[in-house]
Amino acid sequence: MSSRDHTLVPTERLLWTGGVVLGASLPHWPMLPVWIPALLGACVLWRLAAKLKGWPLPNRPLRLTLALLAFSGVVVRYGTVNGLSAGSALLVVMVALKFLESYTHRDQVVLMIIAYFLVFASLLHERGLLTAAYLLGYVWITTVGLLQLGRHGSLLPSWPTAKLAARLLLQAVPIMLILFLLFPRLPGPIWAISGGTSSGTTGLSETMSPGDITNLGLSDEVAFRVEFLTGAPRFDQLYWRGPVLAQFNGRTWSRSPGMRRRVLDTLAHSGEPTEYRVMLGPNGDNWAFAIDMPQTWAAEGRRNIVMGSDYQLRVLAGQPMEGRIAYRVTSYPSYTALEALTANEVAVFTRLPDGSNPRTRALVAQWLVDDPSPDEIIARALDVFRAEGFFYTLTPPALGRHTADEFIFDTREGFCEHYASALTIMLRAAGLPARVVTGYQGGELNGIGDYYIVRQMDAHAWTEVWLDERGWVRVDPIVAVAPERIALGSWRSALQGATARTRALTQLPWLRQALLAYDAANTYWNQWVVGYGPQLQRSLLRYLGFERARWAELMTLAAVSTVAILAGLTLYLGWTFHRQRNVDAAALCFAAFSRKLARARVPPLMPGEGPTAFARRAELKLPVVSADIRRIVQSYLAARYEPGGRAALVELKRLVKQFRAVRARL
Amino acid sequence: MQNALSQRMSGWAANWAQRRQGRDARAVTLQRRRIYILPTRFGIVFGLLVLAMLLGSLNYDASLGFALTFLLAGLGLVIMHHCHNNLLAMQIRFAGALPVFAGQPALYRIALVNSAPAARYELELAHAGQISGPVDLAPGHSKTLEIAVPTDARGWRRLSRFAIATRYPGSLFRAWTWIHMDALCLVYPAPAPVGRPIPTGPSHHGTRGMPAQDDSDFVGLRRATPADSPGRVAWKAYARSGQLMVKQFSGAAEVPSMLDWDSLPELGTEARLAQLTRWCLDAAAEMRSFGVRLPTTAVALGSGEKHLHECLQALALFEMPAS
Repeated sequence: MSSRDHTLVPTERLLWTGGVVLGASLPHWPMLPVWIPALLGACVLWRLAAKLKGWPLPNRPLRLTLALLAFSGVVVRYGTVNGLSAGSALLVVMVALKFLESYTHRDQVVLMIIAYFLVFASLLHERGLLTAAYLLGYVWITTVGLLQLGRHGSLLPSWPTAKLAARLLLQAVPIMLILFLLFPRLPGPIWAISGGTSSGTTGLSETMSPGDITNLGLSDEVAFRVEFLTGAPRFDQLYWRGPVLAQFNGRTWSRSPGMRRRVLDTLAHSGEPTEYRVMLGPNGDNWAFAIDMPQTWAAEGRRNIVMGSDYQLRVLAGQPMEGRIAYRVTSYPSYTALEALTANEVAVFTRLPDGSNPRTRALVAQWLVDDPSPDEIIARALDVFRAEGFFYTLTPPALGRHTADEFIFDTREGFCEHYASALTIMLRAAGLPARVVTGYQGGELNGIGDYYIVRQMDAHAWTEVWLDERGWVRVDPIVAVAPERIALGSWRSALQGATARTRALTQLPWLRQALLAYDAANTYWNQWVVGYGPQLQRSLLRYLGFERARWAELMTLAAVSTVAILAGLTLYLGWTFHRQRNVDAAALCFAAFSRKLARARVPPLMPGEGPTAFARRAELKLPVVSADIRRIVQSYLAARYEPGGRAALVELKRLVKQFRAVRARL
Repeated sequence: MQNALSQRMSGWAANWAQRRQGRDARAVTLQRRRIYILPTRFGIVFGLLVLAMLLGSLNYDASLGFALTFLLAGLGLVIMHHCHNNLLAMQIRFAGALPVFAGQPALYRIALVNSAPAARYELELAHAGQISGPVDLAPGHSKTLEIAVPTDARGWRRLSRFAIATRYPGSLFRAWTWIHMDALCLVYPAPAPVGRPIPTGPSHHGTRGMPAQDDSDFVGLRRATPADSPGRVAWKAYARSGQLMVKQFSGAAEVPSMLDWDSLPELGTEARLAQLTRWCLDAAAEMRSFGVRLPTTAVALGSGEKHLHECLQALALFEMPAS
């Protein structure tokens, strides 16, 4: 096996090795530049062709060149060899080149060990339930590979080996559980190696240009999930605050930079608080959504959440939003946000570009003449949308230069962004400080898991206006034009624009139910398995009666439990090697039989001699009783090797007892 | 250098094991306390892999990473126990060794008997750098492994310490047991070169000094069976073809001769024994009846396979301390 002759490696070993490394690297492929999977595939094919068709394998200089090229390729693509993405890419490249020169037993076993590491690396990227299931399956297959390729002799039949691998893994599961639960999870990173994954995410954008979008796709992708610890508030109170857009250039709303102020003290809460836990998927922008208005909050894990100057929560800058985060918030749906504005800030919140939307400005100027009180202005602005002809639609016509003018006077079709933008422009035209708040509204109750799912299609935009003595007040123009949008959630009210998929979901209740069930499973998975960290561990230990367990105590507990499990395994294995009394009984019977034969001068069973050969020898010596001998051996074999050998054992006992070794009379 | 060190260490460990276990009978059933286990190189690499995974999981705070890390750590420990158990309660029996002439390798046969209802895999016998096997054992089956040991001197040759080992499953660990059993192989003196004729004793025939009549005709070779005398093996043919053949003769000179130690006064002890051995073989090949007379013992005249072995054994054990 240690020969360097590549043709001597048995084909089945090559196929096993190639199959396992291809499958283990498969989850990495979507994240890798195309040439890396191509290289791997080419190397596997080349190696197989060398074995089966006698192709020459690359010599040492060519292999070195290939390795250098591939290494440079990775460095050029990622700019580093550090970090998760570059590391995974490098690992796959290494596997490809290593496979090309796999000659020996050792190479094959090392490749299996690397395959485990490939599975591990994809677990750092992917955390979903299905991926985890695939990877667990793959650990199984890799273990079968290890058992097969670890052999020096020929390979064993696949299926019994697969069962053995499954048994080994199942026996490892209790140890995994103990260590998983008890191994000390540390808050705070040990080494500051940056993750290096930038997941392409869909979330709210930081700008809003109502005239540009003519077809808003309803995405049912999950933005976040919410578990209410106290009773859930009314549906129309579920305004999840996101980015606040205060800067308007005539077409696009964007965030206003530069304002930094501590605003939490300006909040006055009243009424019943609501307490909840948000599980947030990856979003590129660090937003931590909370119900208007949050009072206290705490992130789980290693992150910090702060409140920005617009009352919105953000995960502290510099902490990547890799993976999922969870946080608890206490919010008061009734609040006043009495922020004192400087003259400068008033100017920012009332600014409209010169010459934009002249018709709207003229209309508002007329209102100001009639009654300049802010309440009256707001009421009249909302009345505009209640007039004939305003539609809530997800497929509005495109708008030209003066978006508010065209929307209010001409097209009158739009979705929340059009209404919020137009209303804010009207209020600013009246000299009232106003801004657009984006976020999500509502959510869907998952009855199976008893939590809410907020999807991208629940994205919403509304207006906040600043009034003397009342501070920032939310005004949602959609309530005026499409109150059911608030009562039910957007996707149900706008079905004519909905995608086929969403329609199918509403028409096939069982499919919807199944998807909700899967979502519930995934959520529990994320919450209890993926999210198992220092906090959950502390709660678990407290539940088990370990108040404030120390590092050393946890390790000792884990070690003692592991040793206990292994002791159990030892007992079990020892028992399997000694179990099945009928086997021993059959052997005892057979021993008694051969003692009887020995008295008739038939030499006893010799090493390497099977019972059948022994019987033939005895029959030659004792032809008179050869039929008896044959029957005894048959029932012995049946008792020993056939399923349900109990009856055969009884028969064997009887036959041996009756057996008389009668020598032939010569 | 490193090799020498590891050899010294393993020698020391083996001696320790022998002190602790004592000598074994010719059939041993392996108990837990005499099965030793250490990780192989792959096992060490696997351990490093698990350590790397642990560090990675800590760094990325990846819960699923921890799960896989601990699953593999558990798998390693479980494999260790299966490896240890693969030898547990197995019976190792000395299955004999045929006598050889000094210079020929002694072939010891060691039977591995699996009386357990579970199969055992990849069992090998290791002795002085040689490996025999690996073999798999189905439940209730036994297999015999052979180990060849070079011989240089006559007498009883004891098989030194050997190990029964396994790397199953997965080659991550190697479990082994050291066996020190009284596995003996009788080594006959190496026969002197052909040429010197058998003296025919004066006391019997009075044809002293006459060359032995050789009226038996060599008729050919046939495949050797275990029952054949080594003296009739055609060693030259064996050297050519690697196959044991025996010479066949027709007719026999029935001239009994007593092969006498005293008839060779000019030779030293070993040379005398070598010459006597040669004569025994020649006499047996010629199907004569013959006997051996040594200063301490004698084998009376006789013939046949069994008789030849008796004579050769007497020569092999001449002046040997009783074992």
